[in-house]
Amino acid sequence: MLGWIARGLAQGQITTRYPKTPERPVGAFHGPLVVLDASGADRELEWFCPTGAITVDSRRRITLDRGRCIQCGECVRAAPHRFAFAQRYETAARHRQALIVGTRDDPEPGEDRPALAARARPLRRSIHVRHIDTGSDGAEEWEIQALWNPYYDIQRLGFFLTAAPRHADILLATGVVTPPMRAPLERTWEVMPEPKALVAVGTDACSGGLSAQDGSRFSGIDAVLPVDVYVPGSPPPPIAILEGLLLAVGLLADST
Amino acid sequence: MSLAQPRPEIPDYLPEHLGAVRQPGPAGEVRLQVTTLGFARTSQMLHRAGARFVTLLLAQGPEPAIQGAFAMRGDLVVLSAPVKAGEAPTYTALGPWWPAARWPEQELAERHGVHPVGLVATPNLVHPEADTLDQPIAGLDVFSLPYGPVRSGVFEAVQFLIETGGEDVTHVATRPFFKHRGLEQRVVGMTPTEAVHVTERIAGISTIAYSLAFCHAVERALDVDVPARAERWRAVHAELERMANHLDVIAKQAETAALSVGQARFQILKERVQRIRATLTGSRFGRGALAPGGVRSEPTISREELLAEIDGLERDLRSDRWRFLRTASMADRLIGTGRLPRSLAEEYAAVGPVARGSGVSTDARHERPYGEYRRLGLEVVTHREEDAMSRMLVRFGELTESLRILRQAIGHLDRNGTGLSARLPFGATGCAFGWAEAAQGEVVMRVEMRDGLVSRLHVASPSLRNWALFDQAFPRDVLTDFAFIEHSFGLSPAGADR
Repeated sequence: MLGWIARGLAQGQITTRYPKTPERPVGAFHGPLVVLDASGADRELEWFCPTGAITVDSRRRITLDRGRCIQCGECVRAAPHRFAFAQRYETAARHRQALIVGTRDDPEPGEDRPALAARARPLRRSIHVRHIDTGSDGAEEWEIQALWNPYYDIQRLGFFLTAAPRHADILLATGVVTPPMRAPLERTWEVMPEPKALVAVGTDACSGGLSAQDGSRFSGIDAVLPVDVYVPGSPPPPIAILEGLLLAVGLLADST
Repeated sequence: MSLAQPRPEIPDYLPEHLGAVRQPGPAGEVRLQVTTLGFARTSQMLHRAGARFVTLLLAQGPEPAIQGAFAMRGDLVVLSAPVKAGEAPTYTALGPWWPAARWPEQELAERHGVHPVGLVATPNLVHPEADTLDQPIAGLDVFSLPYGPVRSGVFEAVQFLIETGGEDVTHVATRPFFKHRGLEQRVVGMTPTEAVHVTERIAGISTIAYSLAFCHAVERALDVDVPARAERWRAVHAELERMANHLDVIAKQAETAALSVGQARFQILKERVQRIRATLTGSRFGRGALAPGGVRSEPTISREELLAEIDGLERDLRSDRWRFLRTASMADRLIGTGRLPRSLAEEYAAVGPVARGSGVSTDARHERPYGEYRRLGLEVVTHREEDAMSRMLVRFGELTESLRILRQAIGHLDRNGTGLSARLPFGATGCAFGWAEAAQGEVVMRVEMRDGLVSRLHVASPSLRNWALFDQAFPRDVLTDFAFIEHSFGLSPAGADR
């Protein structure tokens, strides 16, 4: 046991200081998609997107729905002068509409980090998080679990995982809603005490992603319950999920 | 067939009177045609000859047929029994004498309208309901504890019905398919390059292995040769993914044993692997790295930087592994826990570390080598103690083996050419099986291509095959062992449910 303690001490500190200081993505990380040039586009651009996230209107302007984007990169390869991956981790938004971008060159990145850090302060050491998987591909679970690893160590901000939904303040929902998971999702949300916030983690949870097509039995979380914070990404990196949690904390702070 | 025709060669393990006819197919795939009446008998012959069950499916191309795939002597034996148009397809069920066939057979019946005669059905398997308890309780003072689909902690949705008298676990029944997303249907009508985005998301934690199996199937169906450089990059991506998965399992075991520093150490190693993968592909899960015909792009990181990262990983892994295996509180919980006899592993056609931990040497990279593994030597790590510790030792052994393969593949990158991708023939038609070894075991897919588009996809997931076995792994275990046994299997619900 002493050996383990020595190992732990020898490691030194590796934990991020986010949201106090920004977290730079590694290498050529594929962050959220940005539209570099939205005007004068061809209709055919829509065909490259497997989830219908790109629409070109009658004035030939591009609209991008980040809530549907799975970051597959087909559009970046087809039209590199129009689309690119942003070099950042953060993707979260308070409203579904805020994920639809393109008319502005770059959307406002939600709230700035100092404001997010301030939000966590009054509720410090008191936020209990519950997770439910309604039909994810499994990658979102890994990224949520990663928040408790020494690199992100979300406990330093006062977030704890709880097994009981009755003790939870925030519900993290991952994946499309499959028919057998609909009732468990509704029941989990119902027994959570007020005030509470629902965070949709991943593109599948935000919109249904690749699984939801017209007339399909699968949908995003907001077709079943009102979602408070959207964290698109396939899967969203841990920092994006952390940003989503902090936005949700802000909601809780406002309502108490 | 007239008597004058020369008899096509059939494998020596099948008696001639069964009337199996060998048909041409890609290398490593032995295609045999039988009648629906002879399907079960021929399968039984293969079973007796030592074949491992892989999957059952309803094919549409080149003709409608019930197909069974079996792994045997370095080949994938594919039995095909054509069904007549307009008739309900039927055959004699394999489940009554071959447990491995039960779940695939039931899926075939309930999702594809095939009627196996004598089907061994599990109630509510394909369409699960969280609130029904359908297992008869075995004895007095025993109660059934439904665990899931909303789990404690951050885990994927799956339900276990645990029968217990309070401490001893008397019976476990797993209910998969809570998260069936219909992904096999989703790819129909897509180009193979587009369909990869779907197959990457069948089991998110094994993105590379699943997309690799799909790419292999497409490449074999269309007879495409992948450039050697692309095959090496594929091996690099696949081994990094295997390492991340194994490190994840080890970290979870440490967490279950409340070994906090050990858990943190292995989580750090896993996060480092995930960051290397993000540097290589832009995605922490290797998404968008592969496409049928090769790889999409070449990482920009230099060879030396990559090797330095791998050296660093190996150094830390070696000392953490030594400490992990010497920690008594860890070993106590794993040794003798979740014993899985070799005979059972064979009967249920176990794959991956679950099989290898029970002394069954099966690894797709070795049995039917593909890509770079045809040129690399591979040591299949097996342990025969049959318990959770044995499965853990297999994972530790494979981590070392992965590091060796990584070095070898990276070192040979510059040999034979710089091509990264081969062009797929335009508008081609064909069908074939493809496979790849995921961290959970062998993934097998069958793809039908018509006029350049995917017209049918069947996925045989290692997680589903091993899950039927999970229910049997509680011979003398107590409730507190449950999490150790579950993590020692290391399965992916998303992959099982598809």
